[in-house]
Amino acid sequence: MSTSTDIETTYADDAEKVSLWDRIGRPVAPFAWPMVLAGAVILAAGCFLSWSYTDEVLGDLSIDFYPGAVQNLMIIAAVLAVIFALMYRGPFSRLGEWLASATALRVLGLGTTVFMALVIALIGVQAGGLVNVMPGAWISFVGAVLILLGAAGLTPRASKDPLHAHLPSWLEILTIVALLAIVLFGAAYVLDIEDGTVFSLVVLFTGLVAFTLTRAGFFTWVGIIAQTHRRVLMLGAVAVAFLFPFTQDGSDANMSIATQVLIFASTALGLNIVVGLAGLLDLGYIAFLGAGAYVGAMFSHSAFATIGWKPNFLLVVIFGALVSATLGLIIGSPTLRVSGDYLAIVTLAFGEIFRLAMGNLDGQDGPRLTNGPNGIPAIPDLEIGSFNFGETHEVFGITLGRFANYYFLLLVVAAIIITVFTRLNNSRIGRGWIAIREDEKAAEAMGVNTFGLKLFAFAGGAFLAGMAGTIKAHHDVSVTPDQYIFLESAFLLAAVVLGGMGTVAGVLIGATILKLMPEKLRFVADYRLLIFGLLLVLMMRFRPEGLVASKRRQLEFHEEDEELADRVEEVHLVEEQEAKA
Amino acid sequence: MTDLLQQLVNGLTLGSLYALIAVGYTVVYGIVQLINFAHGEVFMIGAFGALATWTLLFQGTTALWVLPIMILGAVVASVTVAVVMERIAYRPLRGAPRLAPLITAIGISVALQEAVRLFYPGAKSKIPFPQIDVVTGPALSFAGVTVQRAAVFTVGALLMSAALLWWFVNHTRTGHGMQAVSEDKDTARLMGVNVDRIIVIAFALGAFLAAIAGVAQGLLNANVDFRMGFLAGLKAFTAAVLGGIGNIQGAVVGGLVLGVAEALAVGFIPGQFGGSAWKDVWAFALLIIVLVFRPQGILGARVVDRA
Amino acid sequence: MRSHMKFAVPVVVAALALSACGTRGEEPGAGSTGGDGAKKTVKIGVIAPLSGDLSALGKGIQHSVELAVQQANAANAIPGWEIKVEAVDDEGKADVGKNGATKLAADDDVAGVVGNLNSSVSQQTQPVFAAANIVQVSPANTGPSLTRGADGNTRPYKTFFRTCTTDITQGAFAAKFLLDQGIKKVATIHDKKTYGQGLVQYFTEAFKAGGGEVVVAQTINPDESNYAPVVSKVAPAKPEAVYYGGEYPQAGPLSQQMKAAGLNVPLMGGDGIYDPTFIQLAGATSEGDFATSVGEPTDATEAGKKFLAEYEAAKFAEPSAAYGGYSYDAANAIIEGLKVALKDASDVKSARQAIVDAVGQVSFAGVTGQVAFDEFGDTKVKVISGYKVEGGKWTFVKSENLG
Repeated sequence: MSTSTDIETTYADDAEKVSLWDRIGRPVAPFAWPMVLAGAVILAAGCFLSWSYTDEVLGDLSIDFYPGAVQNLMIIAAVLAVIFALMYRGPFSRLGEWLASATALRVLGLGTTVFMALVIALIGVQAGGLVNVMPGAWISFVGAVLILLGAAGLTPRASKDPLHAHLPSWLEILTIVALLAIVLFGAAYVLDIEDGTVFSLVVLFTGLVAFTLTRAGFFTWVGIIAQTHRRVLMLGAVAVAFLFPFTQDGSDANMSIATQVLIFASTALGLNIVVGLAGLLDLGYIAFLGAGAYVGAMFSHSAFATIGWKPNFLLVVIFGALVSATLGLIIGSPTLRVSGDYLAIVTLAFGEIFRLAMGNLDGQDGPRLTNGPNGIPAIPDLEIGSFNFGETHEVFGITLGRFANYYFLLLVVAAIIITVFTRLNNSRIGRGWIAIREDEKAAEAMGVNTFGLKLFAFAGGAFLAGMAGTIKAHHDVSVTPDQYIFLESAFLLAAVVLGGMGTVAGVLIGATILKLMPEKLRFVADYRLLIFGLLLVLMMRFRPEGLVASKRRQLEFHEEDEELADRVEEVHLVEEQEAKA
Repeated sequence: MTDLLQQLVNGLTLGSLYALIAVGYTVVYGIVQLINFAHGEVFMIGAFGALATWTLLFQGTTALWVLPIMILGAVVASVTVAVVMERIAYRPLRGAPRLAPLITAIGISVALQEAVRLFYPGAKSKIPFPQIDVVTGPALSFAGVTVQRAAVFTVGALLMSAALLWWFVNHTRTGHGMQAVSEDKDTARLMGVNVDRIIVIAFALGAFLAAIAGVAQGLLNANVDFRMGFLAGLKAFTAAVLGGIGNIQGAVVGGLVLGVAEALAVGFIPGQFGGSAWKDVWAFALLIIVLVFRPQGILGARVVDRA
Repeated sequence: MRSHMKFAVPVVVAALALSACGTRGEEPGAGSTGGDGAKKTVKIGVIAPLSGDLSALGKGIQHSVELAVQQANAANAIPGWEIKVEAVDDEGKADVGKNGATKLAADDDVAGVVGNLNSSVSQQTQPVFAAANIVQVSPANTGPSLTRGADGNTRPYKTFFRTCTTDITQGAFAAKFLLDQGIKKVATIHDKKTYGQGLVQYFTEAFKAGGGEVVVAQTINPDESNYAPVVSKVAPAKPEAVYYGGEYPQAGPLSQQMKAAGLNVPLMGGDGIYDPTFIQLAGATSEGDFATSVGEPTDATEAGKKFLAEYEAAKFAEPSAAYGGYSYDAANAIIEGLKVALKDASDVKSARQAIVDAVGQVSFAGVTGQVAFDEFGDTKVKVISGYKVEGGKWTFVKSENLG
């Protein structure tokens, strides 16, 4: 009942917003378009002047005709504004029929204005007083405001559905390649920023650009071409991921974060099968990663390892995955009788039992397997064949350190997991899971083997997480029970929820955000968990389907949204037609 | 024999704490079918509320008369948090898919713990809880069995609260309203019951008892800690399920049974898998067994189709 | 000395400010000849919990290292080189610590590192520094396996040293301490963590060897705060004291609950409970409890008093805390090593092996005694002190060198 009122209020908000835009825009409507162009030029011009008197804030913004990082962002914004303005009227107007240029400009104008205000405030605070703000910053601010006001005066027009835009495929492929290249170099650039504030500003700006392009309808089109050229996208993404270590110039600092992101993302993808596809809430998922890690540690060459047998690592991986999958079967078996919240609690209890048991099996309380809370330290680096993962290697003149080695291995694991995930998702099994998620009783009535599929979801997800765990043991050097606490399970779940349940891209983004942010934003380190908790609450309240939502999933959370329902239907039809053709 | 009695006393003390918290899960569940996962934090907030009251008003005083005022402070803190939580986090999600409120609850739980850790002075580690005369001090001894004074307080608090609660639910207008809403929300609304108000009252009622439990645990352990809500909450939820969720008497019985079972596991499971190291494992195992084989609990749940 | 100090601080600040200029477009710290040209830069890393629950201890470590470095720079201890401190936060967590260590190891100017505070974190940072051949000197890790390996007799990492003694010595001292008072029947409790378990193990060995009897051995779960079940198990054996292996957040309530449940015997623990918070948590009934701690009280020796006075004079934001003296000695051990190894070196990276070797050979009079390392990298000073709770405060009872 309240969902419907939510929808109504959002509509009401929209209506009000439009009228506000119009009210501001009406007086300037005649010169709105030149105003936007002028604003963009002024914004960019300001960036070439000094913004700050001291050279100690936000990197260094004190040099004329030599824009710093934050200034470069605003130049990009200005270029975008010009492009959109020329789409609205001028040489790119044919493109303008497809993209909502006026809406995009409004978002961009508002965003840059806020951004500039924020930068000025930051200079004021960090340098001690607004006196330190140099004219360049004020000029750019005026430019941003002009874009905002001008954009308000433009009339948003209905744009054509990008579903029917049939561009030459070389152009589509080129777009994908260009976007991936931006991702690669963008990531390398962002990770290199040492200053926490600049880092946040860059992330904020990236979000702004992404949002602008989304509102313009650009990403809808990208989504469609990504569908048609899925192979290219996959290959490109693999290439980007593979090339990433080569952008690091031999430094292992970022690679160490990247490997943690990969381990976390791999586990979250496993969880995504259980939660995102089959709709079974698992609050003890970290136990599967832990089971794999403990198996990896116990069979390792560590002097603290508790099992004398040291098999080949490949065997250990399979063994770890199997142990984990067996645990998955055990944890999944109550699903025969238990569902919903009760199932969540059962999995939570299992997760706690795992952690407590690992902390107890030290020879005093139970057999000596895990060394109790001390865990198994000093696990040596992996050695596959004659390749030692602890050593650095020179490739094309670029040094690849220890973490880069693990990165490549984990990349393979992640690729396997993603392949399994997408294959399952588009198979009979995947459809069975979705049926269970949406209505278990109906699914059962239609002849879906619900219990078998649910068990398979648990075991399958656990298998993948266990695989990642065995590598994690060597990567981390030591395995202790306090790495597998409830909060870690909550983090995994948050990665899935934040990114978007049931999607691969969403989970990858969610995992990256959750692991990267605390590393880069040291100044919020202490408030990290508080922010995390509030974020979960806000996400559930305002965007329960996640950042990158699968459309079908989105529909579940917004059942009354007819427009969305039609859209899902239409995309589905087009896909079917293409499949036939 | 003394050993058995001693463990029974320990178990009943612990069980009384679980029971006080478990009532909160059960009352809310009975009315909105929501597992208020953050209820453990409400309990923690209660303990900190009492501590704050003492620190601000009576620092240094240990006379018995400050105890009721501390309890009042605890209740105010807990009830406020619970009601605000219901209003801004849970109410907008009514009717949303099942996953949403549960994830919200996890979020609230983490946020509340962190808020206390970051903003309550000194809460980054354990804080000593004031020792009040009469209810703490040298242990009492009966035939070789030692009974902590705070344990007597805890059991007494449970008995009194349970009696009050029974009276409230069965003999007041609001209590009847609560029963009506838990039977059938829509019909109750048609009959003129203000459902939103009843839900708020359910949250407040649970918070009230959790606050008392918070004070009791403070007195028992002589310290409070921002993490104390997680495990206690989980155990209390186990107790609520054990007794049959939605059933108030059940929560009390479930709490006592769980407490005693845990204490006996410590004392009487022989060999390597006994002792206090494994008691939580046994408690969780009990939870799983009950959820799987008798989801309606010992006394039977009001709502069974959830399982 | 003090006049040097007054001069040194502004110089360091100015140098930092200078080197921060004009760095756009070039990697900060990429060239070892930065800033004022003539002098080459060598960095000493600090890796400790600078935020979170243990930050008071971590900040003390950081500032004590800074003090040692300021003094060395002011005295031009290594001609031609300017020493800088690079502090990294490990939050007391293994994962974070490993990332921090990787960051330090990736910096070619880092010659040595002081840290970590927690043995569990050091376990993870040891291999990172070992792989980069960077000497690591811990001021606070008392876990024996860090230097002696799983079997107690193999040194796992040649780059790891420590200025504090280990739990083997602490356990032995505690056993003797209790036996000397005529206590022969003891119950042991520990929290199953590396530190607590080790402490109880070494205590038990020494106590039995000295003719004592451990009547009951129990463990607690550190997440819990109610120890009634454990106390009920311990009490019937009628011990004359309880030896606890673990830290004060659990030891305080344990002491309080033990006595509230009628078990009126003293509780004894290691340096993990030697903290004022223990007494706060344990309440009035903690009177008569014992603890041991490594070394002599810093303010009991001349060198210690001098260190505290200098630390005071440098006006750091936080006090030197429990491990200040050890950190100061650790930093000076690295600086002594640098004096030898950097004499003819062109850059830091190529001199790292020489630095490790040189640190292994140092011997000088430090704040905590004669600083020198044995073949495992452990300090040769094995002084332990015993303390007792009296009048709501830890008071020094006696100290002994078990070396």
